[in-house]
Amino acid sequence: MAKIAPGTKLNKSISSVNEGSAEAAITSIQQGFERSGYICNSSIATSIFLAERLQKPLLVEGPPGVGKTELAKATAELVGKPLIRLQCYEGLDESKALYEWKYGKQLLYTQVLKEKLGDLMTGAQGLKESIARLHDFDDTFFSEEFLEPRPLLKALWQPGGAVLLIDELDKSDDEFEAFLLEILSDYQISIPELGTIKARTPPIVFLTSNNTREIGDALKRRCLHLYIPFPDTALEQRIIRSRVPEVEESLRNQLVAFVQGLRQLDLKKQPAVSETIDWARTMVLLHAKELDAELVRRTLNVLLKFQDDIDNVDAEVNALTTKAIEAAR
Amino acid sequence: MTEVLGDFIRALRAADVRVSTSESIDAGNVLDIVGFGDRQTLRDGLSQVLAKSEYEKEAFRDTFDRFFAFDQFKQKAPGDPQNSEDGESEDSDQNADQQGGEQQGSAGGQPQSGGGNREGQPSGGERAEGDAEGEGGAEFPDLVQMLESGDQAALQMALADAAREAQLNRIRLFTQRGMYVRRMMEIMGLNGLQDEIERREDNGEQDRADNLRGLRDQLRADVRDYVEKQLEIFTANAGRQLREEVLSQVRLGNIDARDMKIMRVLVAKMAKRLVALHSRRRKVDRRGHLDVRRTIRANVEFDGLMFHTIWKQKKIDRPKVMAICDVSGSVAQVARFLLMFLYSVQEVLPRVRSFAFSGQLGETTDMFEQTKKIEEAIAKALRDHGGGSTDYGQAFVDFERLALDDVDHRTTVLILGDARSNYSNPRGDILKKIHSRARRVIWLNPEGKSMWNSGDSEMKRLQPYCDTAVTCASLKDLERVVSELLRHAS
Repeated sequence: MAKIAPGTKLNKSISSVNEGSAEAAITSIQQGFERSGYICNSSIATSIFLAERLQKPLLVEGPPGVGKTELAKATAELVGKPLIRLQCYEGLDESKALYEWKYGKQLLYTQVLKEKLGDLMTGAQGLKESIARLHDFDDTFFSEEFLEPRPLLKALWQPGGAVLLIDELDKSDDEFEAFLLEILSDYQISIPELGTIKARTPPIVFLTSNNTREIGDALKRRCLHLYIPFPDTALEQRIIRSRVPEVEESLRNQLVAFVQGLRQLDLKKQPAVSETIDWARTMVLLHAKELDAELVRRTLNVLLKFQDDIDNVDAEVNALTTKAIEAAR
Repeated sequence: MTEVLGDFIRALRAADVRVSTSESIDAGNVLDIVGFGDRQTLRDGLSQVLAKSEYEKEAFRDTFDRFFAFDQFKQKAPGDPQNSEDGESEDSDQNADQQGGEQQGSAGGQPQSGGGNREGQPSGGERAEGDAEGEGGAEFPDLVQMLESGDQAALQMALADAAREAQLNRIRLFTQRGMYVRRMMEIMGLNGLQDEIERREDNGEQDRADNLRGLRDQLRADVRDYVEKQLEIFTANAGRQLREEVLSQVRLGNIDARDMKIMRVLVAKMAKRLVALHSRRRKVDRRGHLDVRRTIRANVEFDGLMFHTIWKQKKIDRPKVMAICDVSGSVAQVARFLLMFLYSVQEVLPRVRSFAFSGQLGETTDMFEQTKKIEEAIAKALRDHGGGSTDYGQAFVDFERLALDDVDHRTTVLILGDARSNYSNPRGDILKKIHSRARRVIWLNPEGKSMWNSGDSEMKRLQPYCDTAVTCASLKDLERVVSELLRHAS
């Protein structure tokens, strides 16, 4: 069985179903997400359930715009813990991700110490005794007081646990990946001057990747792996209904069918869910009731982000629109 | 239960999904949590711990559907009156079963009635683990009854148990099919079935005997079907894997011409892997920032005045490789690979100069860079520089003239050849000169160590001036050497 410390404070919506069967728990997670506006299929809910039960980080991969980051946010909302986010980029290093010493304070400390040194040393006989007396003071120079926590350390220190989102891991360097291994497998970090710091409550960790490069095996091994593909028609319709409720059903079905058709084409960048949502909002703004070729042409730049793609699709807009209207019936 | 999981993981590995031990343990934990109750949940859960890339997910789904396909006795359902009603209720359940609606695919045909099997499966497994030996054939006394009542769930379980007992998961060759079918039939109680048929015939119940005989033949076909599916699951990729495995270890000189294509793919794969592994590191090293942390710590002793500045920039030790490749007759076969290797190295490392020689030595760097196709480049190098009789002495003289001035303390000199110099002076003195100037001299010899120094091999006279001299006969060796080289280079 997964190790779940009895004292672990779990959020009600998960802990209340802990005794029940796995399916019930998964369904309740799914419903919880739905309440906060994140529509997902059972496979995503299963992964959240397992990540929470096994206390393992969850590596989420998939094309941009399918809701990887959203998933972490929705989970944070569901479990009622703060979301701590670490955006990765090339050149990110431990001083920005983990901790930094408060140099200014440290310098002040040395200044103060120097001034007070005279007082401290009064009555000390000779050098030896002075040094011995100096040694009696705690070594506060490298102590937690002078530690400036960055996202990772913050997540470990957060009382009651947190949801830690390490976003776009593929943008960071290989070294950074290696450096994450300790925190991912044991929820602890080593600071050379202080020793090991363990998590007060293990955070729920999400890592996301757009697959611009292959994530190392060592890291993958420590994580659960969730691949989120583009949603199918039914799911996408539900997402739009939840996110843009103003759109009428017929139009919603049409535009989802259109986007689904668009994904079949050979495009540089396929429109993701986020683009569909934007497009639906555009339609609301334009007071559109029905999809037509002219309207699609005018708003195509919401869906497609490359001029090449727009040019390519332009010729097929008529056919695609007709097909979408057919399919939506 | 663990046995089922173990078999499944073995099947996954056969389908090219890499599963580590720790991942198997995770899978066990997942199984504990979600159980066999719901197919969809089980598949989602296992796929999250076992398959960790888009490609692997696909392979996983395929393998899962084939491995946990309990539809063996299902197709014949319409012919059986008892089953048709079962079948009707299935459809409605099935739809309710699948939410999210994305994964119907090939799993769609899984009926709810199979749910009984799934739940039954683990318990059956545990029992078989415990006392399979003791009970043996006695475990399925009512095969006749099962067949006649058309109890598919029980049959499926009996089949799974028989498969386990017959150790079907060890099946490797298609010629083993017959044996496994017979063994499984026997375990399921074929003898009792035969006796029953004979008894009925003796009693004059010809109809019922024929009926049972028909069911028996049907069962045999089902078992055969099952065995074939299992064979496919466990050996799907075995052929190709075996071939690649063998080719990467076989001596380069012994590779057939028809395998060259696979070899090229392997070399390209290797080069790509090495590029991925090492290209990034160089990029990172090219940045420079003030390292505030270390600067302040270094300056504490100066009252916090920034006296020493410390930079994050690492000094880039630009790797410089000069590769000298013997392409003469004695190593003709191997030379192709050495050149292939050189070509790949040139793609990976930024500054490689390559030379080829048999009699005289010439530089091939520019030619390799200009020729886009690896086959052409190799053919050209062989044509221009090969064919002569080997003369290491002359080659070193030429190298001294061409490139010795460029050899400095950052240069790694790589020599690929068998050191067979046709009894001419190998000019160890020049190699000594190279060695003293270069950072490292590595000799890769396609011959095994026992062959060194035999006949006209001059290894003993040249080896003292090499930092490393190793056998490099197969692709595996090559990869190891390049990887080592790159690690030190950066």
